[in-house]
Amino acid sequence: MKGIHHITISNSSLKYEFSLKRNITVIRGDSATGKTTLVEMINEYYESGRESGIDLKCDKQCRVLGGRDWQTLLPTMKDSIVFIDEDNDFLTTDEFARAVKESDNYFCLVTREGLPNLPYSVEEIYGIRTSNRYAGLRQVYHEFYHIYGEYRPHEVFEPEEIIVEDSNAGFEFYSGISEGKSYSVVSAEGKSNVFSKVNEALDKKVVIVADGAAFGPEMDRLMKLCTRNKNIIMFLPESFEWLILASGVFQDGEIKEILENPSDHIESSEYFSWERFFTKTLVAKSQDSYLKYKKEHLNPAYLNENIVKKIVAQIADIELI
Amino acid sequence: MLSVYYGDMSESIYNPARYFKNTYTDEWITDELSKKMIKDVDKSEVLGPRIIDSPVLGGISPRELSGGVKTLICIYKQPDKIFNASACGDNCARWLLEIGNMMDVTINLRHIMDFGDGDFTIKVLNTNQIIHNMRELIPVAGMIVR
Repeated sequence: MKGIHHITISNSSLKYEFSLKRNITVIRGDSATGKTTLVEMINEYYESGRESGIDLKCDKQCRVLGGRDWQTLLPTMKDSIVFIDEDNDFLTTDEFARAVKESDNYFCLVTREGLPNLPYSVEEIYGIRTSNRYAGLRQVYHEFYHIYGEYRPHEVFEPEEIIVEDSNAGFEFYSGISEGKSYSVVSAEGKSNVFSKVNEALDKKVVIVADGAAFGPEMDRLMKLCTRNKNIIMFLPESFEWLILASGVFQDGEIKEILENPSDHIESSEYFSWERFFTKTLVAKSQDSYLKYKKEHLNPAYLNENIVKKIVAQIADIELI
Repeated sequence: MLSVYYGDMSESIYNPARYFKNTYTDEWITDELSKKMIKDVDKSEVLGPRIIDSPVLGGISPRELSGGVKTLICIYKQPDKIFNASACGDNCARWLLEIGNMMDVTINLRHIMDFGDGDFTIKVLNTNQIIHNMRELIPVAGMIVR
């Protein structure tokens, strides 16, 4: 599945309206905000349609998955939006992660657990809140909101240490531009190590640089550190490759179109997370140029002064060069 | 005291809402602390043991309370059992601390619940540490769960 899918679902007392933009969306937040009620309404509509008294509008079929037989049921769900409530302990299993990877469905998961096996985006973690957006509506209107709010700096930030999730080209880029500067760059060698690296550097001004497209599982514990330690900030572009594509280093109409509407170009059954798509796009677009890109090692041409300026221009309010 | 075990725990009840549905009694609902928790978390008024006034859903039965408040009531009424308190949002945290001030209870958390900006006392069973605030808790719990 690809594209953005808009869902409205309502009964006599409740109305929900939201859009899903990629293969995995996570809903969490306070109790009593209507998460389970949403999943129950989706299921009742699937079982009984309009006879349920529920009205659901979506261009894809919406299903609910749960219970011990989930592995039997999931293969019957194709090209659908699959909702799973938090009372299903299979959410954290390797088997479920493999099934999501092989599926052409979008998944909307209600859980406060990190789900380290699933590469979901920091942009697709939501809470549900009631809203007065439609004054006079007879139902209580519910909408999704980004639960982690702002993690970027509010003023120019001069780091002492940059912790980069990556150990390949991205790390080499930040290391390269740090030469002669007053900050150091360290690699966490994987997203699951970022928290412990930051924990060791709580007395410094730290920037965490990671691929936002798959960094969702780490977001909760790092946001809790950031909100209580103002000396720690995060820079989470979709990926290092996305940053290069967005910098305008390559003047290409197709890249512009992809970046404006990535959901329309990225097939969920082909790309477990968007970072892999952006890597493939950058490799393809750069292959015949002096900026030929390889993820394993940074092409030194990317450390050319003009190229660096264009890439770093995407990193607002962090003093790197 | 409130004791917390972080991460997978085979002896904890993963789905407290289901446990609640099949075990609660009228007295669980009319208990004064239960009524306060229902009022605070679900914004709902207990009118009687079998009827609760919800501002969103109207008249509901205890079975339609939020998963968070059902979990709180289970922890309070069955302190010899261990429940998965990751079924509770952060708006339940103050009540977990209050229950922990009243009696010794152990809960299982699979995420870092935010217990607020004030001081508190909880025991992290994984590391056998007594923790007094979130600044102390996050580096400890964050090494175990996400």
